[in-house]
Amino acid sequence: MAAAGSGGSRADNGYGGQQARRRKGPGALATGYLPSRCPVSPPWLVIAVGLVRAYLAKGSYHSLYYSIEKPLKFFQTGALLEEYLLIAKYLPGIVPSSVVLTAFQVMSRVFLTWAVTHSVKEVQTEDSVLLFVVAWTITEIIRYSFYTFSLLNHLPYLIKWARYTLFIVLYPMGVSGELLTIYAALPFVRQSGLYSISLPNKYNFSFDYYTFLILVMISYIPIFPQLYFHMLHQRRKVLSHTEEHKKSE
Amino acid sequence: FVSSQVEILDWETKKQLCFLDKVEPSATIREIRLMFHKLYPRWYPARQSIKLDPKGKSLRDEEILQHLPVGTTATLYFKDLGPQIGWTTVFLIEYTGPLFIYFLFYFRITFVYGLDERFTSSPHPVVNLACICHSFHYIKRLIETVFVHRFSRGTMPLRNIVKNCLYYWGFAAWLAYYINHPLYTPPSYGKKQINFAVIMFLLCEAGNFSIHVALSDLRRNGSKTRKIPYPTKNPFTWLFFFVSCPNYTYEVGTWISFTIMTQCVPVGLFTLLCFIQMTIWAKDKHCTYLREFKDYPSHRMPIIPFLL
Repeated sequence: MAAAGSGGSRADNGYGGQQARRRKGPGALATGYLPSRCPVSPPWLVIAVGLVRAYLAKGSYHSLYYSIEKPLKFFQTGALLEEYLLIAKYLPGIVPSSVVLTAFQVMSRVFLTWAVTHSVKEVQTEDSVLLFVVAWTITEIIRYSFYTFSLLNHLPYLIKWARYTLFIVLYPMGVSGELLTIYAALPFVRQSGLYSISLPNKYNFSFDYYTFLILVMISYIPIFPQLYFHMLHQRRKVLSHTEEHKKSE
Repeated sequence: FVSSQVEILDWETKKQLCFLDKVEPSATIREIRLMFHKLYPRWYPARQSIKLDPKGKSLRDEEILQHLPVGTTATLYFKDLGPQIGWTTVFLIEYTGPLFIYFLFYFRITFVYGLDERFTSSPHPVVNLACICHSFHYIKRLIETVFVHRFSRGTMPLRNIVKNCLYYWGFAAWLAYYINHPLYTPPSYGKKQINFAVIMFLLCEAGNFSIHVALSDLRRNGSKTRKIPYPTKNPFTWLFFFVSCPNYTYEVGTWISFTIMTQCVPVGLFTLLCFIQMTIWAKDKHCTYLREFKDYPSHRMPIIPFLL
């Protein structure tokens, strides 16, 4: 997901060939922006292509993280601004989406990308990283296609079905990858004292990143089921509505 | 003798909950609430929201039936606000907590810092000073709650108390933990920093108290209507020239001084959150003043002179 604020091309990105973002002005942003990104969302497609290429080249999937590291970080961080703009300003009414839930999702992804995977070098070769990257990639490609087609008022049932069905497998897959990655990072954090500060110090403050990570893992317990059941509920609502609509035709 | 009739419907289902006939047109909403309470004992007046429109604002107790835009048969809507708790009660519970929680850490009660450190005391005078200031602040708040504040609304929903207490008590514990910790480090600029902070603290507490008294005096005769607050002879109230809610301004000042005094990040974070919350409240109050009074002083800002 590319940063909405960045306008044209990005010189620091080796993956050229992305379409320039046409921005006609705030009012037309929604209609101008999404279609210009092409239905299958170049940034995530880039990551998907990168993954496949690296796998074919190396024959194994252990160090795939490195091949998609830069775009992943860039797009995830840009996602913050983009999600805010899309969900809070331009898409309400067109696509029903909870601001809080989406914000949460983006926050957790940025956290995983920067505060865990990037910060703790030793986990970058873990399989669990691949697990959540693949889950995110597929989810986002489908989701952006869904938004794009919705805006163009021509949503193929397949995309809608995919968005509201594949999550059943992809959510748990992504969450498992995330949790396993955090768990794998724990011993290294403990050993290196990463992002931790202990007493005494002149600011009279202490923070233990290790404990914080454990609390984050625990927080998945109340939060993940809520998100999951929310999506299931949405699924029932959206797909049954389509069924009725079809029947009435 | 013309009497009115009042029917009260549920705001959601529109089912008729009661029909009161022979109601005096000069009856107040308060009296209607009491009549409704007689029929439905579990819905005491404080938890009744009586409105003209199902989605509208709740009518105040003082409103008189015949002054409302209704015919001889008034249709009112009822909404249950849930269990209520008095503001005074809430404040008393909210403020007593931090007072005693801080003492648990100051006196290093057994399990707080481990068995070895129990009941020891800190070698730094600033730690004792901080305890005095923190306690003074909350005792002052308790006194104001009982003797000074006049609340326009009597109650708030019961669930608020859990939220509020978690916030106040939680933060009190967090900052008390660091200030009274055996490994506490006193402020970098020593006595100068501490003395400055104490003076600022006392000034802000005095200011905050002066404003509370001034606001309370506006409602001396028991009325619940709002009046524009103006500066009085007390110099601390002269802040009213510049801001709508100087009590919040002084409160933030108190916490800034406490942060400087203790040089402790959790205190700083608490101060920041207080500032954000009070700015929201101040802006709200300021907008209400502007809406209600055409002659409201236009150069006043909500909480910080000239800025915010």
